[in-house]
Formats: sequence, structure tokens, C-alpha cells
Amino acid sequence: MPRAAAVELDQLSKSFRVRRARSTGVAARLRDLFSGETQTVCAVDKLSFSIAPGERVAFIGPNGAGKSTTLKMLAGILQPDAGDVRVLGLVPSRQRRQLAFQIGTVFGQRSQLWYQLPPRDTFELLGRVYEVDAPEHRRRIDALSSVFDLGTLVNTPVRHLSLGERMRCEIVASLLHSPRMLFLDEPTIGLDVSAKATIRELLWTQSEQERVTLLLTSHDTGDMERVCTRAIVINHGRLLWDGPIAALRRSYLKAKRVTLWSEAEHLELTLPGVRVLSSGAYRTELEIALEITPLGQVVDAALRQTAIRDMAIEDAPLDEVIRALYATAATGSVPS
Amino acid sequence: MSAGTIAKYAAFSRISATQAGRERNELYGRMAFFAVILGVFSSLWRAVAEAGMPVAADPKSLVWYLAATEWILLSAPPIHLEIQEAIRRGDVVYRLGHPASYVLAEFATGFGLLAVRAPFLGLTAFLCAFAFTGWTPPLSALLIVVPFGFVASTVITALYLGIGLLAFWLQDVAPVYWVWQKLMFVLGGLMLPLELYPAFIQRAAAFTPFPSLLAAPASVVLGTNAVTPGALARNLVIWSGVTAIAVSWMFRRAVSTVTINGG
Repeated sequence: MPRAAAVELDQLSKSFRVRRARSTGVAARLRDLFSGETQTVCAVDKLSFSIAPGERVAFIGPNGAGKSTTLKMLAGILQPDAGDVRVLGLVPSRQRRQLAFQIGTVFGQRSQLWYQLPPRDTFELLGRVYEVDAPEHRRRIDALSSVFDLGTLVNTPVRHLSLGERMRCEIVASLLHSPRMLFLDEPTIGLDVSAKATIRELLWTQSEQERVTLLLTSHDTGDMERVCTRAIVINHGRLLWDGPIAALRRSYLKAKRVTLWSEAEHLELTLPGVRVLSSGAYRTELEIALEITPLGQVVDAALRQTAIRDMAIEDAPLDEVIRALYATAATGSVPS
Repeated sequence: MSAGTIAKYAAFSRISATQAGRERNELYGRMAFFAVILGVFSSLWRAVAEAGMPVAADPKSLVWYLAATEWILLSAPPIHLEIQEAIRRGDVVYRLGHPASYVLAEFATGFGLLAVRAPFLGLTAFLCAFAFTGWTPPLSALLIVVPFGFVASTVITALYLGIGLLAFWLQDVAPVYWVWQKLMFVLGGLMLPLELYPAFIQRAAAFTPFPSLLAAPASVVLGTNAVTPGALARNLVIWSGVTAIAVSWMFRRAVSTVTINGG
């Protein structure tokens, strides 16, 4: 692992003790009250990876995969059971306070803004919390308000803000103390398309300008594609895949989506590995398994039937790539 | 504690005081409730005295006693509700991640609310008690009740913080608060001085913080000299220490529970 890594995890593990599922029946319920039987659930299992300073990494996994637990361990909120973790050279569980000055966190479904007050009041509180020099802090508030186009929003009570406006303010709040690392847990959840695009653009720009390392968890593949360059995929607390997002597509993309606009109203393509997704009105949408039938062969077959006026070739959506990855993981055949 | 640290927690108090200033309706509601309670009880004590029934203390003093106990209790903000909601919603994760003590930050937040409520409710108590009785206790008594009552409200705020922390285990702390409130009413002598209670209740109450927080500071207006300022101060210091230790211990347990059981 590179010594100057922003994040280093080595065989990190964390288990939780949870109560066993309740039995049924009155007698069994009464027994449950006193027995308190528990079971151990492994949330993170020997997880290892590292992130270089300035990288923007998507941290992906289905619900219950261990993403939030990992983030909480990285922020020093939870203590690992085994393994080593360093964030910006600090051990989070032992140096939580020192680390807190250097990291920022954004939790999409949580808020750190005071609901009845304008965001500026929370921003000023955070200046004190992070012990930032007052004039410097005011300059930082103005600068970030300008970048995030907050305008009059900073002086509008939070309860009057839309979700998108509030999220912009949440991100500004997490950046005020100039953190070197930002952990984002579903920052665009519940936002409309336009607000999502704005948040993604701002995150990308901010990371580029200030060299802030980003670790972003999201179920929205748009967040990953537009903000991040690398993906780390986990499931059941274990690492499934780690590499550039483009490589993730290549590794799992066994199919291409092809749309043909033809002179003929319908095309009849019955080739192995070719699935017609929709057909009609001079437009045919196909999914082609490239390992079975090369793209050129499909186009040749179409040209033999009619002239092709236009053609679009797309990768399958990242959603499907990730679903395929989880499915492959379930069968235990994930490529390295 | 350094000046920077004090400034940090003072900032929590300041922002919560600002928020309390914006949520005036809740304060006005408490003031109205306070006025009604004092009106009802002053009429009751007057009726009891006029009926020739024996009252162990002067009815006017009893109204001022009630004004003092209610002022102490109503001034303490119910921060356990906010803490419970933050734990349920998960917003607590932000506070846990700050470079600040969670317990001190929550306490400072509660203190900011208390600092706004106490003067308004104190004024309400004074004006209403005077209006209903046409009498005021000696200034020397009020000068003891006000500072000690404020400290007692501060300790009650810290106790609410402890009740709020129980949400890490219970999720819903309403039943605990309900029991605590009833104990406060009975063992704290909210309505009547403890001297009017049966002896066994007085003995039981002596082992709890409740009399030191309500009955003791308020009983100064009765003019019985049963409690000296020195004893008041000593008891409040003891219970402040016990509360601080208990709340810190609970928080450490809560964090380790989250670490062991997830959340």
C-alpha cells in the first residue's frame, strides 16, 4: 500500500451482536424477555483497500453490505474488531478528535442544519466547533456560498428550503473546515433529476479544485458515474471488486444495447445471443451478447434485410452491470 | 477548560437560545399554562383558608412556593425529546463525528434554551403570584430562590439529558420520563412543601435528588428557615456531581452499545 494513501484498510473486520428473532407464542415471548439470546452478525469481513489523496471513489454494495459500518469506522464512530484502518495517517478509533478536524461527512437522509434557523447560523456554529479563525471562516462561508450558489438561501430558515437546496447547504456545512477527505452517504437520495445533476457537478468541481478525497456510497449509479472514477464493490462485508468504473463495465459487460433505425418497419433477427427488446415503427432495440454473436454479424444480418438509416450502440446501464456483479458474487465466480 | 473550548460550547448555547427565540409560541404556551396553574391554586388555597380548614402554611406563601417550584421545573427544557429524535432519525451521527464532546454539546444546547426560558417564566411567576396574592416574599428570600432555582433547573436539564441518552437502548424514553415526572411531583414537593407529607415519604425523598431540586430552593419563600443557603449549595453541588458522573457513564455505555450492537 502506498504510504501517502488517504485511506488504508487492512483486513478490517467488524461484527455486531444482535438479538435473535423473537419466538412465537406467549410462553416463548416471556422467555425472550429474560433470556436475551443474541447472535453475531458479521458486518465487515477482512476488508482491505486503499485510496490515494484526491481520488473520487464510489463505495457500492446492496443494503446490508457493510458500507455504512465501514464509513462509521473510517470516521471513528465505530471501533473495528480486527484489522487496521488509517485515514489521513490517523487511526480513527484512537484519534477520532484529531481526525474529525480533517474529514467531512454528508449523510443524505440526516441533517446537521438547525431546522428553525437559517443555514448561516449552523455555519457559524460549525466554525466554533472546528475552531476556525472567525474572519477566515466568514471568508470560507462566502466563498462556498458563491460556489454552491446559495445566494439568499443562507439567510432563509432551513424549514423553508427544498430538499435540493438543503442538501447544497449540508454539503457546504461539511466543507467549511476545509476537510481533506469527504465521506458521502447517499448525498442525492430523494432529489429530483435537476438537483441531483447540480450536486454531482458541485462535488466533482469541489474535489477537483481543492483536491478533496471523496468516498461516496450511493445506490444511484448516476452519482458514481458522474462524480467518481473508481468503484469499490462490497457484499456481505467482503470486497467483490475494486478498480476504475470503466473497467467495471468492461469486466461485467457481456452485452451491448443496439438501436437500429431501418427502412423496413420491422426487422427479424433470430440470431443466437441476440434478444429483441422492442421492435416497431422502423426502430428495433436489441441486446447482444458479444461473446456469442459479434456485433458486426448482427449488423450484417440487418443489412441483408433492409437499409439501416441510423444506429446507436450503448453499454448496458451501470445498474445492470452491478446487478450482474452481485449475481456473479452469489455464485462465487467473481473475476479478480 | 481553555477559552476556545468554552467558546465552542457557548456557541451551542447561543444557537439554541437563538432557536428558542424563534419558537416563541412554545414559550408563550408555557407562560399561559403557568398563569393558569397559579390562578387555580391561589383560588384553592384561599378557599381552603376561608372555609376555616387548617392549612399548615400561609396560603399566600404556598402560592409563592408553587410559583417557585413550577418556575424551576418549567424552565428546564425537555431536551430528552430532541435527543431521542436525533437518535431515532440517525442525525446523532453528525454530533458524534464532531470534534466536540457529545454530552457537553447537548448540555450546552439545553442550557441555551434554559437561559431564554428562565427569565420569561420567572417574570410570569413573579407577576402572577403577586397579582393573585397581593404580596411578595422578602427580597432576601427571592435573592436566594432565583440563583439556586436556576442552578436546580440546570441540574434538571442535565437529568433530561440522561433520560434522552436512554434512547440509545430504548428508542422511546417517554415511559421513563413519565415515571421520572411523577417522582418529581411527589418526592420533589411540586405542589406542597415536603413538610406537609407523611414522614415515610419525607424519609424516602431524602435519598433522592428531587427535594434538593424543587422543594429546598422553593421553601425559602415560606420563611421557615428550614434550609440554609449553605445546605442548598452543598446539596446542589452533590447532585450536580452525581448527575454529571451518571450521564458521562451512560454516554460511554451508549457508545459501547452502538459499537457492540450496531445502530
